[in-house]
Amino acid sequence: MKGSLSGAREGRPSALRRLVAKASADDLCAFVVPGPDVARARGIDLGAAGLGVAATPRHAGVILLLGELPAGLKKAAAVAYAQMPRPRAVLAVGAGDISPLPGPDVSVAATQADLAAGVDELRRLFAAGAFVEETTAFYADEIETETTYACPMHPGVTSGGPGSCPRCGMDLVPRESTGGSGHEGHHGAHDSHAGMGHGSVDEDAGGHGDHGDMGFMSMVEMTQGTPRSSDGLQMEWADAPFGPLFPGLPGGLAMSFTLDGDTVAVVKAMRGIDGWGPESLDDVTAREFPERLAFLSPLSPIAYRVLALRALGVAAGAETDEETLLGQVGALERERAASHLGWLSGFGRLLGYSWLGENAGRLQVALLRAADAGEVGRLEPEVGKFVRRVIRTPLLARRLEGIGTLPGDAEISGPVARASGLARDARAQGTGYRHLGFEPVVRDGGDAFARLRVRLAEIEQSLGLVRRAGVVSFTEVKPAANAGDVGVATVETPRGAATLRVTLREDAVEVLELRTPSSVHQGFVGAVAEQREVADALVGVASLDISPWEVTG
Amino acid sequence: MQQYAILLGMVMATVGLVVSLGAVARAIGRAREEKAKDVPATSGELSPEPVWVRYHVRYYGYALLFLAFDMEMAFMYPWAVVFKELGLVALLDMGVFLMVLFLGLLYGWSQGALGRQ
Amino acid sequence: MIFLVLAAGAYFVAVLERWATKGRFSLKGPVVSGLALLGRESLVPRKLDRIFFEAAPPLVLVSAVLAAAVLPLAPGLVVADLATGALFVNAALAYVMVALLMAGWGPDGAYAMVAGFRFLGQLVAYSMLIVMPITAVAMRAESLVTTVVVTSQATLWNAAYQPLGFVLYFLAAMAVAFLPPFDLPVAPGELAGGVEAEYTGWRLAAMRLGRATLVFTLALSVTVFYLGGWLGPVLPPWAWTVLKTLVVTAVMLWLGRYVPRLREADVLAWGWKYGIPLALLNIFYVGVVLLGAA
Repeated sequence: MKGSLSGAREGRPSALRRLVAKASADDLCAFVVPGPDVARARGIDLGAAGLGVAATPRHAGVILLLGELPAGLKKAAAVAYAQMPRPRAVLAVGAGDISPLPGPDVSVAATQADLAAGVDELRRLFAAGAFVEETTAFYADEIETETTYACPMHPGVTSGGPGSCPRCGMDLVPRESTGGSGHEGHHGAHDSHAGMGHGSVDEDAGGHGDHGDMGFMSMVEMTQGTPRSSDGLQMEWADAPFGPLFPGLPGGLAMSFTLDGDTVAVVKAMRGIDGWGPESLDDVTAREFPERLAFLSPLSPIAYRVLALRALGVAAGAETDEETLLGQVGALERERAASHLGWLSGFGRLLGYSWLGENAGRLQVALLRAADAGEVGRLEPEVGKFVRRVIRTPLLARRLEGIGTLPGDAEISGPVARASGLARDARAQGTGYRHLGFEPVVRDGGDAFARLRVRLAEIEQSLGLVRRAGVVSFTEVKPAANAGDVGVATVETPRGAATLRVTLREDAVEVLELRTPSSVHQGFVGAVAEQREVADALVGVASLDISPWEVTG
Repeated sequence: MQQYAILLGMVMATVGLVVSLGAVARAIGRAREEKAKDVPATSGELSPEPVWVRYHVRYYGYALLFLAFDMEMAFMYPWAVVFKELGLVALLDMGVFLMVLFLGLLYGWSQGALGRQ
Repeated sequence: MIFLVLAAGAYFVAVLERWATKGRFSLKGPVVSGLALLGRESLVPRKLDRIFFEAAPPLVLVSAVLAAAVLPLAPGLVVADLATGALFVNAALAYVMVALLMAGWGPDGAYAMVAGFRFLGQLVAYSMLIVMPITAVAMRAESLVTTVVVTSQATLWNAAYQPLGFVLYFLAAMAVAFLPPFDLPVAPGELAGGVEAEYTGWRLAAMRLGRATLVFTLALSVTVFYLGGWLGPVLPPWAWTVLKTLVVTAVMLWLGRYVPRLREADVLAWGWKYGIPLALLNIFYVGVVLLGAA
């Protein structure tokens, strides 16, 4: 058993430090990687385990790594860990190898009871070992930055060393970015920063600090090359990542906005989870395939497992029997309701609507923990009351209307499509659903508010379907298929219709096509976010309910 | 004047309180310099682009009207104190002044100043 | 003595805020958090405007303390009973905006910058709505001295006498203290902490202390201007002030949980299109009532 934290502060334990260490043990705040939405989707209630959730690594004392993380997220986690103030700890919950981060201070399995025990252990570690005599600095290749020199007015003009811009003659300014191995130039740049005129309390709005010592330049000259904004003014733009670990977006979704003031001028491409592309589905046996597909999408594992099972079933030419079908329906619908509640919780946090964020999360976890359809049924009245109360929130319509409208109809599916008046639902063709009397929920408007209403209505509808189905689980029967068989299936995941086409090669499954709703919807992020205030842009993106795990390529 | 001296003393004491908080924190320990620790936290990505730019605010229409109304408020404070004494005349006088400003506000409203530019 | 009261007040605000956000009522919560914060490293961004960065947290605290200094807790219990007390409150609160703008500019961070300027927009919206109701209150009291403002409410509290002004001032006070739903500068979900994002350790503790004191001061000002200050039958005067202030604080903190955050554009539009005409109407109404009563 370890006696101290890997991220402890340097200092000999004295009375004051011991007091402070005890205090920090009582007040643990965690920065969750990939995000609290994944924690809720696995049925883990962080608040109940005694951890607060921090919005930024700077306000956190613990970094919580949940589940197996792909390489891209581990890199982001390393960056976040490096930015946390000491004393800091690493809590690995069901995570495997977490390099480049230092070894976990506490490592537990991904269940609520284990997490609570892990948090207690963490408290003990903080109280005992927040201060140690000797500490080692945290270093990893992933947190190395490289310095390039760029012209402040022409960002495209870069060079490896200091100099002047060939176009305008201004001194090149050092700029850092991730990546690259150790660069000596970094230290040089640090010193030169101190030399730039910071001490002057400049009442003027001009940011002279970045332009170096240029002599007097009028405002108009400074912004000569920049494009005009929508109101005709030429102002300077700044790049800001709303990167993988942003609190208002699903964990793992990475975007970069170029901000013109507080308006999003340009949306740079959005990335899903780096390092978990379709190649991770290569060379998987037919036995393991459903499990693997479910593993790759922690936000809606059951939908993808059912998708894989049905595709393999079609390949084998086997018919699913009534009982399994009903069980699949029940499981799918429960997951749908839970997924929408999870989306509501994250959305509430983004909107600053704390009641919604907390209660939706609580209901989601309760729903996921229900053991059978009976328990789900007992939750139904409470969820119904909750949904009705949400829709009656004052100012919510005002906040959401007109945001996130999509152009044309394109290939959208799921709640996004149904909120635009299109009655697209893969469940409408499903035999199991027709028996239970299913009608897709359609609303008009195509904006964030309509999507909210669709999802709220679908929560209630899904719980009703679960009640009528009477079961929430099914037994997996792996059909035996022969090499060369092709199977295709479509399942309505909580985010839209997902289609899978597989063929079998010598007991290994080859994925011919995997179309997920999120990879389609992510193409609309530009249309939704551009020329909007950054808060509205984020709300629009969040209303599309893009799961970064499903974004392929 | 003596009251302002007291207030100044309070300001000093408050700043002293904050500085003493810093001193206590310093007694506990200094920050250890490490790689990437002092880069502004941007949700998992290390790209400290400078953001000291000419920030494009969109509410400058409101800000201009605000100047006018702020000047008006400077006149209204002494007026409010002697209002009851002066009676109806005071109300009518200030009413005219406010009406002029209010018409300015309405004009700005009609010209689209009261919106996100 | 005033510092003790302010400290106790800020402490209770912290307790109430913790209760509102986390759902647990724990009296020693803020002490534990405060100590834990002091024990963390206080990091300074690598490229920063040192003066702005360092000055912002104390400035929030200073402006709150100054504003509280002219507000009376009981007939004799006021630090500086200025002849222009009500105006001074407004002047001191203006520095909150300066402090947050400095905190936004200082660390050269994307989120902080956006957050700081959003708060400036919020100031342009709420500023008139602080000043105009105070003017109406001063009309009734015929003076800017805060103790006179309280005694002028002996017959009827201003909240009942000028309900419109009360509502406007209450909302504007919430906006000054950037409490939800007006928490544009420190939006946790939207801007990853915004203005507070780059502060850690004791600087963050100073910032949070400043914010708690600010909430207390604003609640105290609502009490003094609209709820009759220390006036009340049975309890000693200071007890009434404290009681009313705590009730106002509790309402302010709870109100924000049930409404989504107001956008900057909405705050500005509603403040100027509806707020200012209503505030002017309030002044006119109070003027007519005062003349009618005279």
